Amino acid sequence: MVEASDWELVQKCQAGDMSAFEELVSRYQQKVFTVILGLLRNREDALEVAQETFFRAYRKIKSFQGGSSFYTWLYRIAVNIAIDAQRRQKRNPLDFRESMDGVMEERNEFAKDPFADVHDKELRVKLVQSINDLTPEHRAVIVLRTLEGLSYKDIGELLGCSEGTVMSRLHYARKKLQEKLRAFL
Amino acid sequence: MNTCGEIRESIGAWLDGELSGAEADAVRSHLETCLICGEERRQLENLNRVMKDIFESEDFRLDVEPFWHGLRQRIAAKRPWHADLAEWAGPFIRAPSFAWAVPAVIVLLIGALYFGSILPGWGVLAPRNNFATVESIDAYGRNVALLREHESKTTVIWLYQNSDNENEGAGETSDKGPAF
Repeated sequence: MVEASDWELVQKCQAGDMSAFEELVSRYQQKVFTVILGLLRNREDALEVAQETFFRAYRKIKSFQGGSSFYTWLYRIAVNIAIDAQRRQKRNPLDFRESMDGVMEERNEFAKDPFADVHDKELRVKLVQSINDLTPEHRAVIVLRTLEGLSYKDIGELLGCSEGTVMSRLHYARKKLQEKLRAFL
Repeated sequence: MNTCGEIRESIGAWLDGELSGAEADAVRSHLETCLICGEERRQLENLNRVMKDIFESEDFRLDVEPFWHGLRQRIAAKRPWHADLAEWAGPFIRAPSFAWAVPAVIVLLIGALYFGSILPGWGVLAPRNNFATVESIDAYGRNVALLREHESKTTVIWLYQNSDNENEGAGETSDKGPAF
């Protein structure tokens, strides 16, 4: 059986077919959640934002004309909501830092490799903190590039900016991280 | 000839494979000879590696079934009217976005000026009328002029000696009138 394309599923969904939307969700829920978690670094917040992303996509799917791929359109919604959520987190930095630290300890991220040296552990801790200190826009380009491996063109499409802006944001984001971590790199 | 500063700005994009052929060649050949920029490259590669490790070591798995169940329930639920309104108005009332305020103030000022030009006295910048009244009365052989300025509530009184009628009786009016 030939798998329906995204556009075919979108058209069915626009006609009111809920099962078509379920198929779209099952195709992209993991990818969307991964990007959002990479941006927010908090599982509960990421789950909430992922659900909000698909909810908004469902509500607005009739306005989707196929100008870009469904995947790009969906990612754009996800990244915009996640950036808004990050701004809210920035307003409550203590809560966010505590929850982030809790997650890292809970998963015992730094103790996975018993031979990992102190220097590497310290670098990782500092790097996580430094990524969290980036502006939402800078964090978005870092995550989309490092985690998703997207091209500058695709990142620009998702964030609604030019390739040059993506290059510039990536340069300054890395520069900030490098400055904070120079002693560890 | 590219300077070290220009090259360093391009090393990240070069490592990402995002530079065109000529640009990539320029960065590569510079890195072969410049130790300082070579160190910059090493640090960036290390940074990218650790970031990738951190992201990859995290558990990104999503429990698919509860996720879809929760989403379906949310879609089926009737939303309150204020949630729809908040979603619709969200982009316009987002707190940090005050960019609209500047053009709005300009439009208001232009409107006030225009309104003032078609309805004198109503515009914000319309000139205020500072009415003054001048009265002239004769009493007991003297010419008296009063100037009342309403804005500042000032009254100026002029007294003119009428030499011709100085000795005439009360109630006589001067032919010449006050010389103001």
